[in-house]
Amino acid sequence: MKNQIIGLNIKSLRKIPILGLLLMISFFFPYIEIKSEGIRIAGYRLFLETMNRLNDGGNYIVFIYAVILGIFILSVILSSIFVIVKPGKKSVILSICTYIFNFTGAILILFTITKTINGSGLLSIKFLISYLSSGYWIFLFGSLIGLILSLRAAKMNPGYIILVIMGIIWVFPIAWIIMISFRLESGSYTSYFWPKEFTFKNYLVLLTDSSKFPYLKWFGNTLFVSVFSCALTTFIVLSTAFTLSRIRFSGRKLFMNIVLILGMFPGFMSMIAVYYILKGMNLTQSLIALILVYSSGAAMGYYIAKGFFDTIPKALDEAACIDGATKWQVFTRITIPISKPIIIYTVLTSFMSPWADFIFARVIMGDDYEHYTVALGLFTMLSRENIDTWYTRFAAGAVLISIPIAILFITLQKYYVEGLSGSVKG
Amino acid sequence: MGYKEKANPFKVLLNKFKWIGTTFHKGDNLTKLSFVIMGLSNLLRGQIIKGLTYMVLEISFIFYTLIYGINNFIGLLTLGTKQQNMVYNEESGIYEVLPGDNSMIMLLAGVTTLFVILFFIVVWVSSIKSAIHVQELKEKGKKIPNIVTDITSLFNTNIHKLLLTIPIIGLVLFTVVPLVYMILMAFTNYDVNHQPPGNLFTWIGLKNFKLMLLSNDKIAKTFWPVFGWTMVWAFFATFTCYFGGMLLAILINSKGIRGKGFWRTIFVITIAVPSFVSLLIIRVMLAEHGALNILLQELGFITKALPFFTNPTWARVTVIIVNLWVGIPHTMLITTGILTNIPADLYESAKIDGASPIKTFLKITMPYMLFITTPYLITNFIANINNFNAIYFLTEGNPATLDYFKGAGKTDLLVTWLFKLTIESKDYCYASTIGIMIFTISAALSLIVYRRTGAYKNEEGFQ
Repeated sequence: MKNQIIGLNIKSLRKIPILGLLLMISFFFPYIEIKSEGIRIAGYRLFLETMNRLNDGGNYIVFIYAVILGIFILSVILSSIFVIVKPGKKSVILSICTYIFNFTGAILILFTITKTINGSGLLSIKFLISYLSSGYWIFLFGSLIGLILSLRAAKMNPGYIILVIMGIIWVFPIAWIIMISFRLESGSYTSYFWPKEFTFKNYLVLLTDSSKFPYLKWFGNTLFVSVFSCALTTFIVLSTAFTLSRIRFSGRKLFMNIVLILGMFPGFMSMIAVYYILKGMNLTQSLIALILVYSSGAAMGYYIAKGFFDTIPKALDEAACIDGATKWQVFTRITIPISKPIIIYTVLTSFMSPWADFIFARVIMGDDYEHYTVALGLFTMLSRENIDTWYTRFAAGAVLISIPIAILFITLQKYYVEGLSGSVKG
Repeated sequence: MGYKEKANPFKVLLNKFKWIGTTFHKGDNLTKLSFVIMGLSNLLRGQIIKGLTYMVLEISFIFYTLIYGINNFIGLLTLGTKQQNMVYNEESGIYEVLPGDNSMIMLLAGVTTLFVILFFIVVWVSSIKSAIHVQELKEKGKKIPNIVTDITSLFNTNIHKLLLTIPIIGLVLFTVVPLVYMILMAFTNYDVNHQPPGNLFTWIGLKNFKLMLLSNDKIAKTFWPVFGWTMVWAFFATFTCYFGGMLLAILINSKGIRGKGFWRTIFVITIAVPSFVSLLIIRVMLAEHGALNILLQELGFITKALPFFTNPTWARVTVIIVNLWVGIPHTMLITTGILTNIPADLYESAKIDGASPIKTFLKITMPYMLFITTPYLITNFIANINNFNAIYFLTEGNPATLDYFKGAGKTDLLVTWLFKLTIESKDYCYASTIGIMIFTISAALSLIVYRRTGAYKNEEGFQ
């Protein structure tokens, strides 16, 4: 083998055939071991056995297993030989493909083997994963290591493997919500992930049948509340932050300290009192009450915007003042136009919060379905008496609110990060 | 900057008193009279509208005090004396409810009155300020500003009054007043047995705190374990998400990973889905007869359902792990920006010196990140103490236990317990006591942060 090949990591490359040999040996280890029955089958025998049974008219899934197993052996041999004989880009890529195939294949076997064996009636007892023996596990982890080695050899980052696995874990619950929303069978606890039948009915019922839960109305309510509370919040945050950043007045530090202290009490500790104050104003069970509650405390979130305003040079204001601008003009004509990131951040976060909050909405709205917000309404669908019929529709409703928010969020992600990192610096 | 800012509220108050004294001394008779009849000085010296406004405010305050104020104030002290009674009505031959005092309304009205008085004092001080100001202007022979100049000054020198009015009204009405009301409640016996209008509740001083912190009562035996778990939870939730998110950000940022935007978007999508939806889905998935348990059983990994939410220890670990799912993307987003700010030459010289990636991480990345993000870590810690969503939507505080005070469960945090005490069992006084305890913890932690961060000490630092 040559000592240097451009674009490849020779050290890892040399290890690939060694690993391949190890994987070959694993076929002589027991793949299945059931001590109570005295069964012990090595990998190669598993292959031969299934081939034999095929002649006796075994079912086709067993045949597929045998083929996969055969391809495993064949591909490992081929790619190892190829790497030894012709070390280069092509052989490494072949090796990567081999091990991706082997690894996913091994995982696939792990998740299907019990169903197949139990379904095929080969065993008199129920097959369990714990019956899989050393040979199989060597093969599983060996192919993972082989994948890492091949990626290394190709000077690619093995981090892809972690990213793919993590990506699957993170996307899975969301993908599952979407699947549930298209599921025909109702009920919340299902033993399977893949729906038996797909349908659009959940969406249709949710959007058209408002006799029990008026989803469209809730959607409109939430939109109404979030638009107005977002406008009010943005105004409050910007004006508070601007004043505290730019104007020096007596009581400024006092105000900042009071706000700091207020922020340390748990937010909904006072919800009962808020409820009675709203009742005194004759505003309970109305959307205006929600707007007031969501935006009235906005001044407490001035920090991030103030931090941003602090970085705008004072000279800019002073120059404008010399030219005869009033402070109001400085605020509206100079500060606001150059504060786009922070305005978008404030708008985004305040627009999103009514879609997710349910505590205040629940306290204020009571049982007045007509005035519910989406979050509260969706939560009611999961109450004990509704969950069986409404679970799939709940999923559909959740998907419907998540889509616009997700789009908004992903397109404005840049500003969100800027705002967040503003808060990190404290 | 012409003047020093005073942050200590007591000093500010003391100075205000001194100032009022000297003003009274300096003022002429008309100004002195304005101390009693607000706006007189302004009215007679040409600021008619301003003077009249002050007078109208004073008159309406006096009327308010006479009609409601005094009663409300006495009500605040007694919290009601007349209990609701059933009285036999001989004419109709049935028992009738004879309405008594409603302690809850009286407390709320009392607090409102306190704030009206506070507001009046502020107005009174401002009227004195304006009285002496107009006197000084007259003495110096300067022009007295009329109402139009006063209003235009709101857009210039006095812009803080214009811009802060709405935020302050909002804060006072929906944050400060309710909060004071709830804080006061911690010093009453407003629990489930003392519910207005049927019953009265009254002031009991610090008894709730004693009961909760020092006694041998069941409630104390609930408070301390719940408090302990809250701290454990906050610690693990903060640090697992912090390191997990940072490692993910480093991984995505590292050389040779293509499609960084794509990978980030995958994780960001999970932030965009409202957390109650994703958490509820995960809850259903992990339930005893949920998909995961059934799947694992069918596959033969396990023979009995895993007690994700039924065994206390399992439940606690499960919550922390599921919280990773929610928290890691957030930290990843935040740390991405900071990671790219680490000077690249540091890494290059480390590479030349032959440092391994792990060593580079421990010696360069970690110290730098910790230095920058300490404030974030502590605010995040506080946020996790108050992390209602993660616990409530996943477990609702369950598994419940008989060792605890009504309804509290093994995964309950102080906040979720507070929520339960408010909504379910209506033990408002205990809920308020817990709220004050949470405040104390957060305040102590925040004090450490804000004393340390440069941004608070030196605001002009950027310029």
